[in-house]
Amino acid sequence: MQIGQLLKSASFRLTTAYVVLFSISAGILASLIYLSTTAELQYQIRTRIQVDSAALATEYDRGGTGQLIQAMADRQRGHLVGGLDYTLYGGKDNLLFGKLPSVPCKAGWSTITGPPDGDEPPGEMEKLAVLITPLARGECLLVGDDIGKVRKFGSIILGSFGWVFLLTVTMAVAGGIFLSSRFLHRIEVINRTAEAIIEGDINRRIPRRGAPDDLDKLASTLNRMLDRTTTLMDSLRHVSNDVAHDLRTPLGRLRNTLETARETSSSPEEYRAVLDRAVFEVDGILETFGAILRIAQIESGSRRGGFQKLSLSELVAEVCETFVPPMEDSGKIFRTDIQPGLFVQGDRELLVQSLVNILENAITHTPPRVCVSVSLRRARQGVELSVSDNGEGVPDTERENIFKRFYRLEQSRTAAGNGLGLSIVAAVAELHDAKIFSSSNNPGLKITMLISDAQDVAA
Amino acid sequence: MNILLVEDEPELSTYIVRRLTDSGHRVDYAARGDTGLRLISEGNYDLLIVDRMLPGIDGLSLVKSLRKRQPTLPVLFLSNLGGLDDRVEGLNSGGDDYLAKPFAFAELLARVNALLRRPQHTGQQTSIRAGDLEIDLIRRRVTRAGKDIDLQPREFELLEYLMRRTDQIVTRTMLLEGVWHYHFDPKTNIVETHISRLRSKIGSDMIQTVRGSGYLIRADRAAS
Repeated sequence: MQIGQLLKSASFRLTTAYVVLFSISAGILASLIYLSTTAELQYQIRTRIQVDSAALATEYDRGGTGQLIQAMADRQRGHLVGGLDYTLYGGKDNLLFGKLPSVPCKAGWSTITGPPDGDEPPGEMEKLAVLITPLARGECLLVGDDIGKVRKFGSIILGSFGWVFLLTVTMAVAGGIFLSSRFLHRIEVINRTAEAIIEGDINRRIPRRGAPDDLDKLASTLNRMLDRTTTLMDSLRHVSNDVAHDLRTPLGRLRNTLETARETSSSPEEYRAVLDRAVFEVDGILETFGAILRIAQIESGSRRGGFQKLSLSELVAEVCETFVPPMEDSGKIFRTDIQPGLFVQGDRELLVQSLVNILENAITHTPPRVCVSVSLRRARQGVELSVSDNGEGVPDTERENIFKRFYRLEQSRTAAGNGLGLSIVAAVAELHDAKIFSSSNNPGLKITMLISDAQDVAA
Repeated sequence: MNILLVEDEPELSTYIVRRLTDSGHRVDYAARGDTGLRLISEGNYDLLIVDRMLPGIDGLSLVKSLRKRQPTLPVLFLSNLGGLDDRVEGLNSGGDDYLAKPFAFAELLARVNALLRRPQHTGQQTSIRAGDLEIDLIRRRVTRAGKDIDLQPREFELLEYLMRRTDQIVTRTMLLEGVWHYHFDPKTNIVETHISRLRSKIGSDMIQTVRGSGYLIRADRAAS
């Protein structure tokens, strides 16, 4: 994995953005804590000084200078470290207690700098906040404390924040690099698969990891897309093969007809007869061609977008009504048993054509005086449409072939048709996710289509 | 009648122009969509026959832009695109009829004549008469020489379709599309068998068969 590629990767950039964002918020948090903590510390120090000064002033009021000095000495013994600094002047430069330098005795706060005691930055003097309290008989009480320890405390806070911060950034960057490289590796796998498919290995698929994450879902979707594309390509190849094989025959026949006419016909009547036959042949070829294209179009699945809820009962009834005269004219007995009120999601035109094709198949391939029955009823798994006859039927071994393209039974080779009628039915059934199967009607053929009830399908 | 043909296949255009002229129409011809559109705005046409795939402007766009200015000019699409959705697309863009190539000339001529004659039978018609045959469109009743004839609903629709186009040849495909709404070609002689039922009910002399073309009811067939 190239470092440059890594730095350019989306997940690494995302990581970086998060680190920056985190740093900014951590910085704001650190300064807020620093500022509020130091302010609070200063306030506490000053409050302590004020309270203590007031207490010492009371000692002075009760017992004079002696008791005051005693109280200050007790305090200093009690808290040697971290305690307050106490100093008492009897007059100017008359130091009675403590070690703070003399200042003008004016009530209020003052800052005194003294020799460094170790807790301040190098080169800086010790800083003390001092409260000056003039006493009744001219003495001057100074109570102070080191402000430097506030700053020391602040720098400890900032220091720990610094370490945490450094650790977090390091971990984020390392984690980012780790995650991106894994991510990039999987992208690379997808990329290599795509390249292989472009190179011609169209059956290659992206390996799955089994973990249901986004990339795995993407891989699964891409694989399904590839499957679909392969199916479509197969169907296209089928079409080309079909055209190549099954249009050659009638084209050859047409050619022979015309050639024979050129060599043997002499009268206009003979020519006219040949031309009629040629037109008939061409019409047959065009019809076959149209059927092949229609199958391809149905198999592409594009019609699914226009599916609507429709009454299959009415559709079947209408088609059957249309077929009463042709059935009677060809000597069949035609029976219908249609349960009303059955709805499906589908394409009206294609469902009509399917039923028409099945009925035409029954008319063409059975002898007169055969009974053809259409039945539509609700079954356990949906709506069941079946067309059965009691003719000669199809041998068991051949029955599953009747939906194949251009398949024609040996005995029906001479009958009209191109062997595509039931292939269209099969394609329409598949488009509707319907099951289509043929069975023996003992005797005769029964074709059944089982299609989902529209009530079962979310509209 | 003045017809404009917009079609880019030279051989097919020549053929259509010649045959339509032979049938008594005056035909102008353009090989490009944009040229066609210009001719329409300049000339005075009764019908437009237009291919879908054209250089310049394609047929669908041509008809769409034409419809804004001339909403009533009848338009017949001719197209190599004979797929399931292509027809619907053509009609939605403003076409009145759609014929997939290749076609028999008789089919084209029948449809051209149907479109040219179309305005004649619009409006509120309550009954149509041909000779002594009369159909009542409101009560859906048929009488011949005053005698009631009982027809199945589909037979009535078939007769109505033919009666609305008296003196015009109606092809088998037009009947399949207009009466049954089938846009595919059944192998069975559905139309023929229904026509023969209808004939047996209304009298075999009413509906003429035109060989190689279709069927015809003559309006002046005054019980001759």
